Amino acid sequence: MQRAAHVASCSWPQIVKPAMIRHSLKCRAPLQHSSRAYSVVPPPRDDDERDAVHRMLRVDHAGEYGANRIYAGQMAVLGRSRTGPLIQMWDQEKKHLAKFNEILAENRVRPTALLPFWNIAGFVLGASSALLGKEGAMACTVAVEESISEHYNSQIRALMENDPERYFELLQVIKEFRDDEMDHHDTGLEHEAESAPGYWLLKNVIQLGCKAAIYASQRV
Amino acid sequence: MAALLRGLRAGRVLRGLSSVIAAPTTTNPQLSSLRRGFRCAALRLQDESKSDKSTSFSSSSSSSSSTTTHHEHYQANSAEHNSEAASQHDFDPSAAEGTKISDQEQDTEYETEEQLHARILAAALEFVPQHGWSMEAIAAGAESLDLSSASTGMFTNGAGDLVLHFIAQCNANLTEILAEQHNQVQQGQVEPKKTAEFLKDAVETRLRMYIPYIETWPQAMSILLLPHNIPDSLKHLSTMVDDIWYYAGDRSTDMNWYTKRAALTGIFNTTELVMLQDSSPDFQDTWSFLDNRVQDVVNMATTAKQVQATGEAVVQGLMGAAVTLKNLTGLNQRR
Repeated sequence: MQRAAHVASCSWPQIVKPAMIRHSLKCRAPLQHSSRAYSVVPPPRDDDERDAVHRMLRVDHAGEYGANRIYAGQMAVLGRSRTGPLIQMWDQEKKHLAKFNEILAENRVRPTALLPFWNIAGFVLGASSALLGKEGAMACTVAVEESISEHYNSQIRALMENDPERYFELLQVIKEFRDDEMDHHDTGLEHEAESAPGYWLLKNVIQLGCKAAIYASQRV
Repeated sequence: MAALLRGLRAGRVLRGLSSVIAAPTTTNPQLSSLRRGFRCAALRLQDESKSDKSTSFSSSSSSSSSTTTHHEHYQANSAEHNSEAASQHDFDPSAAEGTKISDQEQDTEYETEEQLHARILAAALEFVPQHGWSMEAIAAGAESLDLSSASTGMFTNGAGDLVLHFIAQCNANLTEILAEQHNQVQQGQVEPKKTAEFLKDAVETRLRMYIPYIETWPQAMSILLLPHNIPDSLKHLSTMVDDIWYYAGDRSTDMNWYTKRAALTGIFNTTELVMLQDSSPDFQDTWSFLDNRVQDVVNMATTAKQVQATGEAVVQGLMGAAVTLKNLTGLNQRR
């Protein structure tokens, strides 16, 4: 009875003030996900949680933004030749970025100040790897997607260790994106990434760069 | 004999007080101010001559103070069991929860240190026009709450604590006002304002909170610029600017997030400085300065967009020219 009342109150997002939403969420039922008044990220319980979650979202947003720019660079060079697989991957990345934009705006998360760097660096990386040919572009894709998947996996582990039920929606989003990135990685391998010139060197240098980018975006 | 009567009255007041103290988690503001009033009355029962002062300290509402005196008066004139019934009768039905005396007898001091801090600083604000933003004002505030002026020892940052508390209070008020306006817009009662007008109104509302302290505000600003206060004052400034932009409808997630907030910080700081020098009636000059600055920022944003659009058009034109040249010279043909 009380739960029904709270479910009902949770379904009037426009009239119920945010503070009241938080009060009603304190006795939410774990299985009724649609009754939650937020979409992905639960309202933080304290400053530490808020900072940790915001940092996660910030670096994910930066990652998707960078990936978009890498694909844009690749398309700028190879756009007129091998358009098929590349276009599909870039479209998915655009969707990821749109989703993170939405999450950031909803939760008032500050985007990383290094975005202009990732803009230029991503485009340059994509364009220069594409200049090495189709294999070069695929090698770059493999390296970047592997880094991103690893990063998402560590985030999923952290959230699961913390409280999987509380972050259920956020975990779903990250898992879905991680699966997409793994698909891109596999697509890259399928299209002869490993036969790119200096594949081992290229892959490790790019992955090192990605790690540095993730480290920096978490802090700035 | 008189002392005995006073002692009896004090005892009845205490028991009556504890009987109407509801559960600690109530958020009824009238009730919480009543509780504060009662607790202070309990602290002061040592000195009967000061009991009149209990009606005048700033943190309680006038209604609570009048009910305190009324309550004390009533207590003095009636027997104990009547007083409890009457005390329940006197106050709202929401206060009538405190019907059990026995487990409330132990409740005396359960105010946290932060609440005490806040109370003393709030009381100290009244003495700022007189003493400036200083430890004297805090000491005067503590004394007005009938706490020892040595309690200023817990303010390790001195005047900085007072100024930062005031800033935080102003920001909280502003956020409340903006949230209320936002709700009204969402419920369709009011038309949403354009960005420039919204920013102007928000900054004006916020700066008007300084008007009662405008004489001493330069001192407050210099206190905020002290190195150990800079991180806190920057934090308050940035959260205020973020709040204003959020309620203005900004949901950007790129560099615009930073440029907008930087622009608004600039507007706010310069307008604050102008306000200090302003001597026009109701600070008219300040508001027109604010208006011009907001207009400048909006114009700059429009210009930036136009420049970008022009740049893109130019690039496209150049690409078109290059392709035409390639076609003309035959470089585009596959052989």
